[in-house]
Amino acid sequence: MTNRLWSLVEMAARPLESDTRAAVLGDLEETGESAWRGLLDVLELVVRRQWQFLKDWRPWLAVFGLALPSSLVLMGLSVSISSALETFSDDMIHEAVLQLLCRGFLLIGCSWACGFAMGSISRKTFWVSGIACCFPCLLCLVRFREPSLSRLCLFLFLLPAIWGVRQALRSTRISLVIAFLLATSITTLMITFANNKSFWTLNWVLVWPVWYIAAARYRREAQPI
Amino acid sequence: MLGEFEYLLITAAAGLGDNAYGAAIREEIESTTGRRCSIGALYTTIDRLETKGLVTTWMGDATPQRGGRAKRMVRVTPKGVHAAKDFYDVVTRVSRGASWVVDRAGRTL
Repeated sequence: MTNRLWSLVEMAARPLESDTRAAVLGDLEETGESAWRGLLDVLELVVRRQWQFLKDWRPWLAVFGLALPSSLVLMGLSVSISSALETFSDDMIHEAVLQLLCRGFLLIGCSWACGFAMGSISRKTFWVSGIACCFPCLLCLVRFREPSLSRLCLFLFLLPAIWGVRQALRSTRISLVIAFLLATSITTLMITFANNKSFWTLNWVLVWPVWYIAAARYRREAQPI
Repeated sequence: MLGEFEYLLITAAAGLGDNAYGAAIREEIESTTGRRCSIGALYTTIDRLETKGLVTTWMGDATPQRGGRAKRMVRVTPKGVHAAKDFYDVVTRVSRGASWVVDRAGRTL
């Protein structure tokens, strides 16, 4: 029982930085603290740390400027692509196929960029952004009323978004050229689709994350070594 | 000005000298105040004091008693000493005339 409790203490300490984790767990072991007391102490420290991070503006930018609006828009984009695929036929004109491919690229590119930006901006409080994403998803899932489409079509954006988040949390470097190419192509596609009657003005919310990534990359490269 | 717990921490760390690290500071505070000192409060305050430049910290040696984990060593900076002295002076000044304040000879000041 004691070993299992101590495993729980170590698991509870994982959100802490590695040095702090070592120091805290070492202190608990040195002072012979009981596992229950140790668990409460560690949880208290984790909560205090998270509270400190949440006092910053960045996690809230990630929630209200990114997670909430982009989840809604990306779900809309996912459904529009699913509807288009539903009516896909061999005798579709070349232009319609091209439009579908462009929308697909837009969905994957924007989802990835939103995930990456969210992971970069709110690295230590990512769980808050994650929860904020769930609300619009659950709302749309409950209210989805398209009989010809599966409810799963709402979440076509999820895999590229999760991929983007993972890359951000692993501090993967994106080359400046690729970042600017992605930003330019997404913006160009948005402008192209803006005349479409089904285009939401809110779709423009998907453009800032990709430019944020490009600007952040440019700033990092411009810094003197 | 320093807070009460910040003062306790700085004073405990200054008293421990080269042996000032998390567990030792915590034990010193608990034995002096007779109150439990939570690890959460301790490390949060150490971080805050370090941000203010009142202490510096670094990872010390690991020991078998700590399961091979390193200690977080704490040293009070000159700025921290100055801040602690200010706090002590203020508390001393404001306490003059208080009925519970006595000098070394046991006379009420």
